[in-house]
Amino acid sequence: MTETQLIRQAASGDGHAVRALYERYAPRVYAVVRRIAGDDELAQDYAQEAWIRAIRALPTFRGEARFSTWLHRIAVNAALQALRKGETRRKHEGPFPDQVAEPPKGGDVLLQEKLERCLDRLPEGMRRVLILHDVEGYTHEEIGDVLGVTEGTSKSQLFKARARMRDMLEALSDDARDTGVEVWGT
Amino acid sequence: MGHLTRETLARLVDRQPSPEEAGHLELCAVCAGELEALRRQTEALGDLPEIRPPVGDWQILEARLRSEGLIEVPGLLARWGLAHTPTWMRTAAAVLLFLGGTGVGAVVTRHAAGPNAGAGEMSQATFTSATSLDDAATNLRRAETSYVAALARYRQLLARADTGQTAEDPRSRYAALEYLVAASQAAIRQAPADPFFNGLLASTLAERDVTLRRISASGDNWF
Repeated sequence: MTETQLIRQAASGDGHAVRALYERYAPRVYAVVRRIAGDDELAQDYAQEAWIRAIRALPTFRGEARFSTWLHRIAVNAALQALRKGETRRKHEGPFPDQVAEPPKGGDVLLQEKLERCLDRLPEGMRRVLILHDVEGYTHEEIGDVLGVTEGTSKSQLFKARARMRDMLEALSDDARDTGVEVWGT
Repeated sequence: MGHLTRETLARLVDRQPSPEEAGHLELCAVCAGELEALRRQTEALGDLPEIRPPVGDWQILEARLRSEGLIEVPGLLARWGLAHTPTWMRTAAAVLLFLGGTGVGAVVTRHAAGPNAGAGEMSQATFTSATSLDDAATNLRRAETSYVAALARYRQLLARADTGQTAEDPRSRYAALEYLVAASQAAIRQAPADPFFNGLLASTLAERDVTLRRISASGDNWF
């Protein structure tokens, strides 16, 4: 079944078609919402809200943009609106918690984990811009639209966020040197 | 000129440096290395993988979608776990259920004449041979109705036996239940993992055992 057919059936209330769309796009939706939320519990709520909105709006989907792009925008907006409503995430402040001994992981996986941990610790404004720009590929103009800020503010926050991330990764790499895995040492 | 700040270098990840900044980067290995590290960091962020939602996320979402009327409540076939069963299997199962229901109805009606015979008579509903999915579903519903009616009649007989109001023939009940067990087993052979047929067999076996114990207790056993 093509995606267009799936969408049409899902719009008419076919649970199997909705499930098929969910299976296809849930990881993408959850990833962006999780990173914006910076918290697992909030992320699940936001992702659910995003799906409810998307399925409700399906009959209005005209196929002018790709479905994945359309859905992604809904997910980003759902998460941002929820955050604006004051559903604040748990604060991740202070030093990184001691790591529980884990089996050795590949370099990429370890690096991804470190990036995620550092993202969670960025201040809200910086994190949202960094995620939208460097992770999700939004332009500054698009970020300005969804966040309600100027392009200049978006750029400024992005550069600060990148620098802050670099600081945090460098701090983590001090520990990593002990275990032989470094994060782009200078 | 001192080293470039991290924020400045962060800007140069995807922006052109000014002539002064470019000149410094050519001469300063520390700043050039730092810029390279920031570029790799940005690339790595762009390569972050998708994240699977927690286990059970779909079930929660499905319940919410259903409660808001955004997806249809599953039909009879879906509720019985038959939605994805091949058509031939559904038809075969409907026929088997029909045979089971009719057999039970015939036995019950034969032995349940009188003012309470109505429930048994319901089991004698006629079925058309299923030629489509809708027909098979209709037959299944009617077979279920027959089964429920037959079961109600069993319980009625059981209650009366408990109060000693009448002496129904437990052997006929046992024979009818045996028939139903066989029909359920045949259905399960066609659809081994089907929850409805397995449930039907389990409840029929339980009823049969109860009947058997009554026969045994009454000394009216022939085995």
